[in-house]
Parts: sequence; structure tokens; C-alpha cells
Amino acid sequence: MSAEPLVELVKIEKTFGRVQALTDINLKLYPGEIVSLVGDNGAGKSTLTKIIAGTEKADAGGLIRLRGADQKAWNAAKARQLGIETVHQNRALSEQQSIYANVFMGREITNRFGFVKRKKEIEETESLMRRIGYTSKVWTPQSQVLKLSGGERQGVAISRAILFDSSLVMLDEPTTAMALSEQAEVIEFIKDLKKQGKSVIFISHNPWDAHAVADRFVILDRGRLVFDGPKGNMSADDFIQMLRDIAKKGSI
Amino acid sequence: MSEENSKTSVVENAVVKKFVIPDKMKPVIGAAGFYLIMMAIFIFFAPDVFLDVGMFTAVFLSLPLYIIMGLALVFVTVAGEIDLSFPSIVPLSGLAFSVTLTATGFNFWAAFFASLLTGVACGLLNGFLVTKLGFSSLITTLGVNFMLIGLTQVLNRGEVRQFTEFDESPIRRAIVGSWGPIPAQMFWGLGLAVILGLIFNRHRFGIHVHIAGDNPEAGRAMGINIERVKVYCFVLVGICCALTSTVGILLNSTYYSTMGEGYLLPVLAAVFVGGTPVTGGRGTIAGLVIGATTVVFINTGVIAVGLDGYYTQLGFGLVIILSLLGHRTLSGRLTR
Repeated sequence: MSAEPLVELVKIEKTFGRVQALTDINLKLYPGEIVSLVGDNGAGKSTLTKIIAGTEKADAGGLIRLRGADQKAWNAAKARQLGIETVHQNRALSEQQSIYANVFMGREITNRFGFVKRKKEIEETESLMRRIGYTSKVWTPQSQVLKLSGGERQGVAISRAILFDSSLVMLDEPTTAMALSEQAEVIEFIKDLKKQGKSVIFISHNPWDAHAVADRFVILDRGRLVFDGPKGNMSADDFIQMLRDIAKKGSI
Repeated sequence: MSEENSKTSVVENAVVKKFVIPDKMKPVIGAAGFYLIMMAIFIFFAPDVFLDVGMFTAVFLSLPLYIIMGLALVFVTVAGEIDLSFPSIVPLSGLAFSVTLTATGFNFWAAFFASLLTGVACGLLNGFLVTKLGFSSLITTLGVNFMLIGLTQVLNRGEVRQFTEFDESPIRRAIVGSWGPIPAQMFWGLGLAVILGLIFNRHRFGIHVHIAGDNPEAGRAMGINIERVKVYCFVLVGICCALTSTVGILLNSTYYSTMGEGYLLPVLAAVFVGGTPVTGGRGTIAGLVIGATTVVFINTGVIAVGLDGYYTQLGFGLVIILSLLGHRTLSGRLTR
């Protein structure tokens, strides 16, 4: 693992009204590692990814550092510019628009007057759809997203995250609403990302998946970081037992 | 999922598609079909009136005003908001035009600029109230409408301003003169429709307008500044109102503070008859042009057929309801 962390979170806190969603989160992510972010419902996993993705603002006092540089005024546009791609839990798709418009959402290929190069976007979307194994001939890049199934929509959201060159990909529950075969593909795809040298944060409700892909586990419990350590030779059973213990006692 | 990561693979169109009407065209086809049926009925009952060039010239005199305002309304509606304040921005920006025109000794460009500035300011006000304070656009713009009409009345004090000195100027001729039997403003209106249509469908801004009304959360997550997109839409309404007022004043060589009256419902009707649903995320510029034409023809047509003016509103109502029915049959669903 290289010395300099890709992303560093220092004292991240988040409150929603009177609810403390995250408390004193300190976390370092290194290039080329897959981190499984686990924890019960309401543990703060999604909130934490949203803060890293820039769609949710952390409370004052916390700090996000990217490749050693402090990031002030962090937002979603900036996060994407600096190479952080996210597959959000709600998929973040504009359903009445076409697949290609969704893939290039917020990152349209335009000429210098801001007009979209539609042909180019459609072509790239088409080759992307093939690359990730969209075999269905029913859908073209111009099809509206609302005509796709849940798994296919998830496929669009994932394609969007890999089309652009990134250094960190965060996937929040990417396998929900997917068929078993599709789930297996997603796991393969996450391993591919690592081979390309990208870092991955993977959130899953399925502890076996979370264990299988991870290099390292980060466990949240009621907004606190209660475990951060490498997988080493921890077996899936040990891992699940550890999760159970945490759920019972609040710590290991 | 393969491991090769090149984006350069050649795309060939191997898929054979049977001919289907693209979803985007359905509202346009619906609006056009509806217009043709309506015209057929008008022509059937009053062929001498509706086959006369004079009838079309009369319609084309005022049609561009409806088109210009309707264009901006399509943007706002597709962005998931509504703007009911446009009938008040027209007389207010018109007042700015008139006052500046007199003050500068008939400097058209200064007056036009003042009018645009007023329109932009009104749009920014709406945008601020809706996006920064989070007010409902329906109620906000209704309130702003009353406010600005009141402000215009207070400032103008019932004065009717005439600009007959301007009658023979080349600028007036260029904007509202006639090019053959067709009033010049028709070309300006259609020209603007083409430009805004391109922006609506092909420009990054237009794409973001669609997303703003469809799934703003998704847009935000992908780094789009949805609030700014909406503010720009309200500003566009202000700009289009300023254009409308300028054309309207030149057309009649007169400013009166009630010049925005009577636009509210027909322009909204033009948007919806044209096939832009009220739910946001979807809309059509071409449909708007057809919808505006439909609405203006009813206005003129009901009287031309020999019915008295009382029937105009009845005609509007019928057209709106029937067109909704038509759009639903074609597009499946208009409300979500």
C-alpha cells in the first residue's frame, strides 16, 4: 500500500437536526484498495459516502483531504472533477431522459458553445453498454430509462461510474434489485476496478459479498467507526461473527 | 464485463428497427393533428373567412407574442416549476422601454436595453424566491404577478404613451413591418423558436432543464447546479416578456399599462395544448408553436365564424380538454 492516502477524512461529523448521524469519523483510503463499508441500517454508511461524494455537507470542523490537499467548499461537481465517481443507492437517474443523457449527466460532451455532441455521446454509450455486457437488443442508447428494469437501471448507473477516468469509485448497495447472475458480474466488475488501480468503497447488505471483495473492512455502528482493519486471513464466518458482536454490544 | 477498457470499439448499427413514432415526436404530432382538425371544422363552417389570406395575416400579427412568451414558459414548466408572473413583467418592462425611449429622445437600443434589464430583474426575483427561499413557484409567481401589475399601475398612473414619431423608423419596420402578406414579427418569433428549440434540445443548458424537472436530486448528485438552472429559466421568462413588450409597443405605437392582460390563460393553454405536460422533465418547442397557433386561431376564429365573443372561452375550454385527451391517447401518460 503506497504511503500517501488518496482520500483522508478527519473528524467528520454530521447531524440531521437533533440526530447525530456521524460522530468523529477518521478514515484514510489508499490507492488500489477495496474497502467494504459495513454496518447496520442507519449506521451512517450512505451518509458517509454522500459526504465523500459531495452531495451532503459535513458539519463544520471536519476536513476532507484529497491526495494530501485540504478540500474547502467540497461539492459534487468538484468531487467528480477530481476523480470520485459514485453509484448512489437511489441510482440518481433521470428516468424520462435517454440512457445516453443519463450516462453523460453533468458531464456532457459539448462543442465550445455548449451544444451537446449527441452522436459522440450515443456512440460512446453504445460501446459502453456492450463492454459491460448489455446484450439486450431492445435498448438503444436513445431509450428512455423508465423503460428499463431495476437491474438494467443499476447497470446504467454503474456504467456512468466507469466511463470517466476516476481514482475512487463508491458503490452504495449496487446489487439490490439485481438478479443473481448480475450480482456476480458486479463483484467481478469491482475486482476489475482494483486491477485498474482504482480505489473502491463498496457498501452491501450481503456480508458474504462484502467479505469476498474486500481488502479491508470499515465498520460503522450508530454513526461511529468501530472497526477499521485489513481482511488478512479473516474468514467469512469470522467476519460475520464480528458483525454480530458489534450489533449486540456496539463494539468488538 | 470484459477487462479491456478502451472506448474506441467501433459501433455498427446491427439492430433492425421497425418503424415507430419516436416518443419525442408524439406530442408534436398530436398537437399538429389537433390543429388540423380544428382548422378543418373552421373551414367547413366558414370557408370564405378561413381560406382568406387576410385571416392569416390577422392571426400572424399577434401570434408571435404568444409564441415568444410560451417558449420561455416551456423551459420553466419542463424544469418542474411554473411562472404565472409573465403577464405583469410584460407591462413593467414595457414601461421601462417607454420611459427610456422618451427620456433618451427615441433611442431604441437604450429603451430596449432598459426593458431587457427590467425583465431580467423580475426573473431574478422569481428565481431567488423559488430557489433560495424554497417557495412554491405557483404561489410565488402569482404573488409577484399582482405585485408587479400594481407596481406598474402606481408608476404609470393610467397614462397612455404614444410613439407616433417612431412610425416611420427603419427599426420599427424591421421588427413589425410586413414582409409580403406576413408580418415581420412572425419571422422574429419563429426565429426565436428555432434558437430556443436548439438550446432546449441540444444545448447543455436545455439538457439540464430537463433533468431539473425530472429528477433534480440525480442532477445534484452528478454535479449539476439545479438551482442555477431554474433561476436561468425564470430569467428567460423575464427576457421573453421584455421582447414581447417591445414588439407589442412597436406594433401599436402605444404603451398602455394593461398590455399584459389576457395573456395568462391563452399562453398557458398554448404550452399544454402543445403537448408539454405540467409534470416536468419533458416538453416540446415545436408543439408550443403549434399550440400557440391553435389558441390564437380560436380567439380569432370563433368570432370569424359568426359566433359572438361569448363563445371564445367555451372554445378554449373544449380545446384544452380535448387536446389533453388526444395527448394521453398518443403518449400513454401525461400525469405521473
